[in-house]
Amino acid sequence: MINEYLNLLLKDYTLQIITLGTAVLGAVCGMLGSFAVLRKQSLLGDAISHASLPGIAIVFLVLGVKSNNGLLLGALASGLVSAVFIKGIISKTHLKADTALGIVLSTFFGFGMLLLTYIQKLPNANQSGLEKYLFGQAATLLASDVWLMTAIAGISLLIVLLFWKEFKMVLFDPDYTKTLGFNVKFIDTLITSFIVIAIVMGLQTVGVVLMSAMLLAPAAAARQWTNSLAKMVMLAGLFGATSGVVGTAISASANNLSTGPVIVLIATLFVVFSFVFSPIRGLLFKQIKLWKNRNDLKLMKTLMFMYNLVKDHEDISHPHKIQLLNNFQGYTKKSLKRLQAEDLILLNRSDWSLTEKGFNTAKNLYTQEL
Amino acid sequence: MTNAQLEIQIILSLVAVACALPGVFLVLRKMALISDAISHSILPGIVLGFFITQDLASPLLIVMATLTGVLTVVLVEYIQKTGLVKEDTAIGLVFPSMFSIGVILIARNAGDVHLDVDAVLLGEVAFAPFDRWMYNGIDMGPKSLWMIGTILTVSISLLILFFKELKVATFDAGLAASLGFTPIGIHYGLMTVSSVTTVGAFDAIGAILVVAFMIVPAASIYLLTNNLKKMLVYSALLGVFASIVGYWIAHFLDASIAGTIATVLGLLFFMVYLFAPDKGYISQWYKIKQQKTEVAMLVFMLHIANHEEEQERNVNHLQEHINWTSQLARKVLRLANQNNMIVIKNDVVSLTPKGAEFTNKAVSYISDNKNAELEGIKQNFFLFRG
Amino acid sequence: MEQKIAIAIDDLTVAYNYKPVLWDIDLQIPEGVLMAIVGPNGAGKSTLLKAILDIIKPLAGSVTVYGKPYKKQRDLVAYVPQKGSVDWDFPTTALDVVMMGTYGSLGWIKRPGQTQKKQALEALEKVGMLPFQNRQISQLSGGQQQRIFLARALVQNASIYFMDEPFQGVDATTEKAIIQILKELRKAGKTVIVVHHDLQTVPEYFDWVTFLNVKKIATGPVAQIFNDDNLTKTYGINYKTSITEGKL
Repeated sequence: MINEYLNLLLKDYTLQIITLGTAVLGAVCGMLGSFAVLRKQSLLGDAISHASLPGIAIVFLVLGVKSNNGLLLGALASGLVSAVFIKGIISKTHLKADTALGIVLSTFFGFGMLLLTYIQKLPNANQSGLEKYLFGQAATLLASDVWLMTAIAGISLLIVLLFWKEFKMVLFDPDYTKTLGFNVKFIDTLITSFIVIAIVMGLQTVGVVLMSAMLLAPAAAARQWTNSLAKMVMLAGLFGATSGVVGTAISASANNLSTGPVIVLIATLFVVFSFVFSPIRGLLFKQIKLWKNRNDLKLMKTLMFMYNLVKDHEDISHPHKIQLLNNFQGYTKKSLKRLQAEDLILLNRSDWSLTEKGFNTAKNLYTQEL
Repeated sequence: MTNAQLEIQIILSLVAVACALPGVFLVLRKMALISDAISHSILPGIVLGFFITQDLASPLLIVMATLTGVLTVVLVEYIQKTGLVKEDTAIGLVFPSMFSIGVILIARNAGDVHLDVDAVLLGEVAFAPFDRWMYNGIDMGPKSLWMIGTILTVSISLLILFFKELKVATFDAGLAASLGFTPIGIHYGLMTVSSVTTVGAFDAIGAILVVAFMIVPAASIYLLTNNLKKMLVYSALLGVFASIVGYWIAHFLDASIAGTIATVLGLLFFMVYLFAPDKGYISQWYKIKQQKTEVAMLVFMLHIANHEEEQERNVNHLQEHINWTSQLARKVLRLANQNNMIVIKNDVVSLTPKGAEFTNKAVSYISDNKNAELEGIKQNFFLFRG
Repeated sequence: MEQKIAIAIDDLTVAYNYKPVLWDIDLQIPEGVLMAIVGPNGAGKSTLLKAILDIIKPLAGSVTVYGKPYKKQRDLVAYVPQKGSVDWDFPTTALDVVMMGTYGSLGWIKRPGQTQKKQALEALEKVGMLPFQNRQISQLSGGQQQRIFLARALVQNASIYFMDEPFQGVDATTEKAIIQILKELRKAGKTVIVVHHDLQTVPEYFDWVTFLNVKKIATGPVAQIFNDDNLTKTYGINYKTSITEGKL
């Protein structure tokens, strides 16, 4: 089946264009999404993408035509208006950020749905295609759309590279950045604007309802694999692009599947896999480390017990019977073997003795506990 | 008005009340976006339930979907606890993926399921009157009326039973724990009620707009009162009002009922946001402007009181040393003068006895953080406000 | 006193939402002092630093650094914010954070190079953190994180250092190491201003002190003004007995 699809991909120009489009989109969203996640503004994207719906509908109502770029400009405008509202509610009232996001998200979206259903019932309005903005339909991407996306992606990459140092510093410590004489507001606005542009860019492919996940998921997955911002941004771009390509492939080979949900699910798989299997932060690794620590603790207890038996002897390496350990419950044959493997004790049939290393380790533990 | 129209309006009103009640607590507990998460995440539960029961009002479906909602909350909290991502990211990761599963399930079975994407987003309240509950051949009314009615009855009973606990747990979780209520029990109780309500409302208004019904009335009323009982009652009333107005506008425009109600709610919130007497935008703007001049005046008077030397008390110094624009400086001087707080002789400013007394009192109130008293002496001393 | 004035604060008033938190502060900080700013919680200590550094806009008043407005003298000033003010789970290394200290002199867009890296490594060495340069910052202890912040300020090679509670949540070794560095800075003729909350250590660590509680209570050499009278004025009645009964 994969071969079939690859063959199709090689031959079909439209499919190539669409695949390129979702790859570029995924990469940009992953990259810029990293900044959104690190700014703790994960859900701002959700509100803005939902809120872009009325903008699309209004442009359609006013112009009556389906010029894609026009609709996206409408989305951009309405997304920015919503951001202003959110900021206004948070700064001018005692309502908290979550409430402000919820209000704007739901009422703007409701207004968009009002307009959309109104349009659908207008006589002789060629409204077909507006629904694609709800869940995305990659199949409707045209070559010109994809070139525009690529151009925007190029510009945002350039901006990120150019202002890398400034972005990093503002994300980490805005107050300090200000004392160095940088215009923090400008950098902040730059980051936000590009996040909004990325959202609008993805509406046609992923849709308003699920767009925010395109920003978050690749970044959240990438964060688990690296402790470097540069690597995180690159990885997030890679994860995003892969989700886009694979998601498009699946939705193109199946009937009646919107692209948005499929891409989001693929991106979520990256997240789940990263949460569990990442070697530096993953849950599995943490669990293993926990078990290992517990084991180490047991071994050290055994060693301490031996040390207490030995410490008053003149010759520390004098062998003792294993039976001596019987009233200490923590030891097993396995644990003695492991102590020997680490050169802490010597075993000789039914005897054991502390090595110098073992004696010193135990002594150190002892003084630490005091 | 036809019978069906009346029934639709009753259903919508019940939905509005049922959503507003848990919504108040979500807003107060700063968990508004949990409603967003739940409303998206229950979709797979609803779809699977629908495959089994073929009936959106079936109790089994409600149970399954509610469990999905609670599961979402548990999942979000688990991810938050791992510390792998920040809190809001956890919410943002969970619900789109659950929602995606739901949408794909619908799409894959589009042929045999009478459930489409429009219904997911908007609900189908207009069809509600046609799906009736027949008992022994007697028409008992629309099924969804019974469903949402039951949910509402249960949540009102729970609200009355646990009102005290809810109140304490919302305003002071620590105190609640020490009094022996488990905030966790209240928390998951609230989450369950929110999930059930979302499921019940889903049929009528769709997944996403549940958020509008839960959050917007509560947030609007919160700008008008801090009293919990009043918030509950007025949020419910506001929801009902918006539902009925929205229904008729939608009827007139021939547009989505749920979308229109959400729009009406948005407009109502906007009105409250602008005009709320104490916390609204305009009143805040006015108050801040007034405060700004008054505080500036106080700063200026304190400065005069602190400095014996004439050079520091010169009129021109206001602008140069205190670093004010001439406009603000002039305004401050005028206000102080109008209120007989200062006298100006040879361009040197001195406090009148009244001014000195006021400055002293105001400063001590500010250092001790007594805002009410500060407003009180302003009332007593000021002939003109800033 | 013929000492040069490093920082001159004139009639500074700061308000949050038009509720004053700092009142008409007049303060002159001589060059070369190691000064503690003390006062109870909510006295506006951190706010004072932020207002001096133009992070928050004052309602009234002005700040000059060596006689010129702060904005023209940024190069002379370095800031160590409170450790809790940033997210330590941020994906970056100790060296990277210290490098940020060089960004101010680099200006917009220009990238840090070998020179900047060398400066950062030197600063890391000074605070004893060289072996940890490639550690992710969340894997550092509280004391180590504070040292990283100090190193970042040292890189700036400023004349005046502002530090917000540098001893909060750090181990005893780090506290000693930091105060050692601060004393060295003073010896080199730098001015160091520290928001401090442990009154017991004021006479040992500092030579200059400012008492602050919304208003300026007193400022001057520790030997002259660090006494019961000023402590009581700043903290209220309770402090009088506790301090006289203590070791001070």
